[in-house]
Amino acid sequence: MSRRARWIRNCIVILSLAVGATAWEIGGRYVGEAFMAPLSDTISRLWELLQSGVLLRALVDSLSLFAVGFVLAILCGFPLGLLLARVRPLRVSLESYVTMLYATPMVALIPFILSLMGFGFTPKVLVVFLFAVFPVLYNTIEGARSVKPELIEVASSFRSSEWELWRDVMIPFTLPYVATGIRQAIARGLVGMVAAEFFLSPSGLGQLIIVGSYNFDTAAMLAAVLVVVVLGVTLMEAGHYLESRLAVWRRSAQ
Amino acid sequence: MSTQSLSASRQTSTINALYRQFLDSSIALKVAAGAIILSVWEAVVRTFGPAYVTTPTGVVRAFPKVIVDPDFLSKAVATMEAVIVGLAIAIALGTIVGLLMGRIKEIRYALSHYVNSLFTMPMIAVLPLLSLWFGHTSATRLVFVVLVAFLSIVVNVTDGARGISEEYLEVARAFRVGKIRTMFDIVLPMLVPHLIAGVRLAAGRALTAAVIADFFLAIPGLGYYILFNSRNFHLNEAFVAVVVLIVAGVGFDRLINWITTSFMPWLRRD
Repeated sequence: MSRRARWIRNCIVILSLAVGATAWEIGGRYVGEAFMAPLSDTISRLWELLQSGVLLRALVDSLSLFAVGFVLAILCGFPLGLLLARVRPLRVSLESYVTMLYATPMVALIPFILSLMGFGFTPKVLVVFLFAVFPVLYNTIEGARSVKPELIEVASSFRSSEWELWRDVMIPFTLPYVATGIRQAIARGLVGMVAAEFFLSPSGLGQLIIVGSYNFDTAAMLAAVLVVVVLGVTLMEAGHYLESRLAVWRRSAQ
Repeated sequence: MSTQSLSASRQTSTINALYRQFLDSSIALKVAAGAIILSVWEAVVRTFGPAYVTTPTGVVRAFPKVIVDPDFLSKAVATMEAVIVGLAIAIALGTIVGLLMGRIKEIRYALSHYVNSLFTMPMIAVLPLLSLWFGHTSATRLVFVVLVAFLSIVVNVTDGARGISEEYLEVARAFRVGKIRTMFDIVLPMLVPHLIAGVRLAAGRALTAAVIADFFLAIPGLGYYILFNSRNFHLNEAFVAVVVLIVAGVGFDRLINWITTSFMPWLRRD
């Protein structure tokens, strides 16, 4: 991109952000605090929440919920996916159930989790886990299936042990697909995080949003939503980065 | 007599062969796996769980009652209507906005920040705001579904519209093809795979969004049916609604696959 084109692009981006901010400010003043707080009020509330430490605590609560569920989902989804890929009868018998659960709106299970497990941290982790595990599992199976049978044949004719086969062939060739699964799992896990905080015991950023909406305190609500946006964009950027790094690897490996 | 026994033994051998084929076939394995999962579930709940916990047999017993219950049906129709109408609106709007963003770079620069950050954030966070604006009504659910589905489609269509190779458009320009014909003969056909990918993503997200809205807004719908029945410990009845949602989720996916393979066989992804 030429320097002039880049300059034009930056101008348009800044202009559109300015238009958006102005529209938010004027719109907020016009409709009133109960519907949408103007941008200035939202920013000053965000600053207040930040200084009082409320926001930081909420962020830590939400992130730890997300992290535990997400890590558990990867720790279960990835090995299970590899196992299903390697053991043919298992794959044939379970693959369509995995696909089915991948397409199921997991959010429908929240009321069951609520009445069976009640409130607390564990049921919320379970929600994040259920949202995140199937993308990882599904994509791992897809990836392991894409490993060329020739490679496995060569490895076994050179008498590589099962462990060496996994270390040198299966896992490296599956990782790019797993990265795609992880990116999907981040997106779904974040939805699961907020859903768990809304519908199970309120906590973290979800609680800030919900309490704001009950009190018609849209400034606090929008401040929390802004933090959720930043969190989502940051985590997804990390997911994209991971995916592009491993995709480079895939290209060079073939 | 010898011919008779011969034909009899031939018959048993064909039966044996069929039986062996059945054992080898993937369907048998799948059914067996499903049966094992369901019986483990049943056994675990019967041994350890209280009587109201969902069991496969309980769901099967509740199914015929629930599926003809007019209250359940009206709620199921309400949720599915929101998903289908929402998807239709989102496809129309999303294709237009995605085309504009993909083909006109000024519009893309102006909107992509908003579209991308809204697409990556968990949309559920703005549902309380929407409920303040539109009330606890089915209109809010529809708006929420449209918003969620719209973003998935815009992102995919923008990608598709950007990826249209300049050569085709140059040839069209060289032959002085009109803008409208270029749109219908070159741009739109090349957009179809991206639009399908977008719709596939949007359909799953829209279903989740509709159920979340049912929960949050407490308006008649499948989500609310699940919530209400599970609060009253009618977990088997509530699970029938989950079964309907699973069928809907898988059904949308299959439908999109079927449309792709039967009308656009050149797009088949294997």
